[in-house]
Amino acid sequence: METRVVGPLTFTIDFSIPLYEQIVEQIRHAVARGEIALGKKLPSVREMAQNLKVNPSTVVRAYLELEHDGLCEKRRGQGTFITNSEEKVQKIKRGLAEEALNNFVHTMKSLGIDKNTAQQWLKEMDWQ
Amino acid sequence: MSIAVEFHHVSYRYGRKFALQDLSLSIPKGKATGLLGENGAGKSTLLKLITSIGKPTLGEIKVFGQKPGWKVNEQIAYLGDRAQWYKFHSIEKAIQYAEKIFPNFQVQQAKEYLDFMKLDSKAKVGDLSKGQMMRLQLILCLSRKVDLFLLDEPLSGIDLISREKIIDLLIHLLSEQEVTIVISTHEIMETEGLFEHLIFLKEGKVVKSGNVETLRAREGSIQHIYREVFQ
Repeated sequence: METRVVGPLTFTIDFSIPLYEQIVEQIRHAVARGEIALGKKLPSVREMAQNLKVNPSTVVRAYLELEHDGLCEKRRGQGTFITNSEEKVQKIKRGLAEEALNNFVHTMKSLGIDKNTAQQWLKEMDWQ
Repeated sequence: MSIAVEFHHVSYRYGRKFALQDLSLSIPKGKATGLLGENGAGKSTLLKLITSIGKPTLGEIKVFGQKPGWKVNEQIAYLGDRAQWYKFHSIEKAIQYAEKIFPNFQVQQAKEYLDFMKLDSKAKVGDLSKGQMMRLQLILCLSRKVDLFLLDEPLSGIDLISREKIIDLLIHLLSEQEVTIVISTHEIMETEGLFEHLIFLKEGKVVKSGNVETLRAREGSIQHIYREVFQ
């Protein structure tokens, strides 16, 4: 694992998983957590490639996937920007939250804890 | 996927030893391909055959659809193990010399790369460290306007900073233009992110090849795959 910073974004790269997936995943998280603001320009492909020390095509592929998700948009000659749509960000947040919940349920199940108990404990959790 | 170089059942023998044995492969166009293998796996031989420094004992090679030879060599820049530059030249002079001997050499490009690689143009070639020397050789190679770059072990036996600078320059080049580069190496650590396509060579044969991200999804990091293949 290696941590690398590119502009407002911090990436932790694990070389045992496809790299473009990690770039996509970590940009999604950064947007959902508000680390990069709506409408903001993403670092250029060149800057990302140089700083992450990856082949530029890996970054291109990641940006294409984010565009396909609707989280980013490419503007001709200007670069790739985070969407302005709050709605799309909410959708991404929802997706990430669901993923976390699935993991939670999976862990509880594997520990042999039933739904009622888990829900009770969740209620008692300190959110601060 | 368009193809830059193809090997069809190529064998190459010197003396009694086969350096390559019934080897078939294709190198994709417009990508950075890593040629991975231990010393003596046949990596250098393979690159030399592409530039027709040797002729295959058996089989057929096609480079951009042509037989290897002087004609197609005009489209190839090859960084071999024994590139010779005059020791008494300054780097500046070496660049002027490169312009004389290489067709399509781009002086402006070389100067830009020189800054990028933090080399002093006044320094004497004979005074450079091994790592600096490799940086210079790489600059002189990459400043040629060609369709195919073949880099034989550009990372071996040199210092960490030079290795990193070389990777940086390669990524810089790949961001600038679509080029076909083949790099032979057994230095995996620094090159994890660099390649798009990989060819693993063992005892003169291709034992594994494919798109890096696909291999990664299936089998893990290049380092891991390398260990599996060569242990």
